[in-house]
Amino acid sequence: MPFLDWFLPCFYAFAACLGFCVPFNIRGLGAVICSLGGGLAWLVYLIAGPLTGYHDLMQYFWAAVFLSAYSEGMARVRKCPVTGYMLVAFLPLVPGAGIYNMMEYALNGDTERFLSTGMHTLSIAGALAVGVLVVSSLMRMYTALRRRRRI
Amino acid sequence: MDYDKLLTLSGELGYHLLLSGAEIYRVEESVRYLLQAYGVGPGEVFAIPNCIIVGISSPGQKPLTRMRRVGPHGTNVRKIEALNALCRRLCAETPDLDQAWEALQTAAADQTYFSTPQQLSAYFLGTAAFCLFFGGTLADAAASGLCGVAIGVSLIFMSRLGTNLFFKTIAGGFVSALAAVVLVALGLGTHINLIIIGAIMALAPGVVITNFMRDIMAGDMLSGLSKFAEALLTGAGIALGTGLALSLARMLGGAA
Repeated sequence: MPFLDWFLPCFYAFAACLGFCVPFNIRGLGAVICSLGGGLAWLVYLIAGPLTGYHDLMQYFWAAVFLSAYSEGMARVRKCPVTGYMLVAFLPLVPGAGIYNMMEYALNGDTERFLSTGMHTLSIAGALAVGVLVVSSLMRMYTALRRRRRI
Repeated sequence: MDYDKLLTLSGELGYHLLLSGAEIYRVEESVRYLLQAYGVGPGEVFAIPNCIIVGISSPGQKPLTRMRRVGPHGTNVRKIEALNALCRRLCAETPDLDQAWEALQTAAADQTYFSTPQQLSAYFLGTAAFCLFFGGTLADAAASGLCGVAIGVSLIFMSRLGTNLFFKTIAGGFVSALAAVVLVALGLGTHINLIIIGAIMALAPGVVITNFMRDIMAGDMLSGLSKFAEALLTGAGIALGTGLALSLARMLGGAA
């Protein structure tokens, strides 16, 4: 069922984020907004699949861009720090499986696949970082522009 | 104006923000705005993840500096939000320094935190959902949730002992992989790799990846690099811990 294929992973991402809000002491409405961001970011990742020809680095990049924009927007609406929304909502995008597979290849002495998975995991982290970077730099430029106009 | 009091107030605000895990630029900006709001010209503030230095100099006064060392700390978003709101209020109203000090003390003393059972059930929910997310079955998810609880217990226990981050991560990975091996041997869940992947998300350095890039973009290279190192160390710690447990299980002829 195509609908469930898209909906279920996003729902799982939402539930997982909701769980991880607790150790970071995120409460109430903030927790829901933040988890919603995690679920939606995964939806963006899935949608970006067909659009980018299933190039997963680009998928991660667009998901990170969406999530940063979402968090910056929510932070301004609710007048709360951006971190509160970014921290946990990013978890579904973090390449945890990559770290594990790397370790398993290393354990089996499969150096070639260990190195290639390692590079891939690092590139995913890089793609996420660049996504965050683009949005937060643009936001900084925008606030600087607005401040200058006001003076 | 009592500069000593103002310096103590702003230094303490920065200290508590850092202690709650706020980004570096937020700490520096908050302190700078506070000093400006109280009419102290060029206030200087420098913060890295474990230290903050605030200095003020005004005409006809000796320059004053205050430094606070910040110990190991986690992230408490609720406190960051409260302190941020307090800083906005102080900047807008600039109340008497004694009153401001009282308000800061109340905000900093707030120890509202989820109880241990609540936290452990949250670890269960989070890791179980991640296992499903990565394609595990319901039985896998239950096993993964239990491994997540094991991680939660070990994290909470070791935080009380003040263990360092690297060792905490290794031990968390070790405990979760060991629990996964035992659970699969007992017949709960079949895909041991998915169970472990779900569980180690509780340790994954997601927080750090997002924060270090924001720090670097704000021009705080030093903080960004130290957080980058933290992310790499955490990743290595997870791999080391789980690898240790799995190879141990193989040595003993276990499931994995």
